[in-house]
Amino acid sequence: MLEISIFTILALFMLAGSIAMISNRQTLFSAFGFLVAMIGLAGMFALLDSRFLAIAQIMVSVGAVVVLSMLTILTINAKNENLPHEPHKYKWIFFSSILVLPVTLLIYKSTTALYQSFSTMEAVSSKVVGKLLFSEWVLPFEIVSILLLTAMVGAIVIARKETTTKETTKNDLMRSEENS
Amino acid sequence: MTPELFFLLASVLFSIGLVGLVSRKNLFVLYMSIELMLSAVNLLLATFSKVLNDANGSVIALLIIAVIAAEAVLFLAMIVHIYRTSRSVDSDHLNKLREGAENA
Repeated sequence: MLEISIFTILALFMLAGSIAMISNRQTLFSAFGFLVAMIGLAGMFALLDSRFLAIAQIMVSVGAVVVLSMLTILTINAKNENLPHEPHKYKWIFFSSILVLPVTLLIYKSTTALYQSFSTMEAVSSKVVGKLLFSEWVLPFEIVSILLLTAMVGAIVIARKETTTKETTKNDLMRSEENS
Repeated sequence: MTPELFFLLASVLFSIGLVGLVSRKNLFVLYMSIELMLSAVNLLLATFSKVLNDANGSVIALLIIAVIAAEAVLFLAMIVHIYRTSRSVDSDHLNKLREGAENA
């Protein structure tokens, strides 16, 4: 009974957050809705007894990803006229919801059918997860670390201003010529 | 506590992300919708990991969290670059590769 009530509260928070995320015009309010949804997802992981995933979700998704996107939104500080002009937003959301509804039912029905064919319902301990991660899944783990490094370098390269480097090199050249 | 509720929640979250992806033009909202869809898949993986009592699902979910972080970094860097060049976060402005683009 307690589990059901906790699930209901968390699910309502997540749904409200995600609906606020796709329907708000101001970007920062969307980010706040996304934050609420991510914290609710961490609570769901805790409710499923996978503590390691819950902590990872809090640390990575909430602590890093959402905060980074909020900082980007605040740094960009797009004014009202720079935001996209969407006069028929709610109409689009309504029609696409109707179109997507069969997909929702398909996912729900297929997962439920999968679950009914085999089920045990026991907790997954963090120890087993750690052992699996460093024995059987060690190659994907290393590939993910390379992927993170590549993403970091790529982000620096993409977001850098091209003009500043050229100006600094030109200034350095001029300064060295003056010195000589 | 039956896992059907978790499946229902995961499918609804995935669909909300899909709706946001196809119906909005703000690049930040598109990015957050993709993240929401990935998180719904994560919730499904964690639920199945508990239902089948198999820790492999939790490991895959953990790796997906790392991939989400990498995707977020690249997407935000691209948004910053696009805003710097075109002063807008509208996805309709991204037509530089189109032949004969009017505001390239």
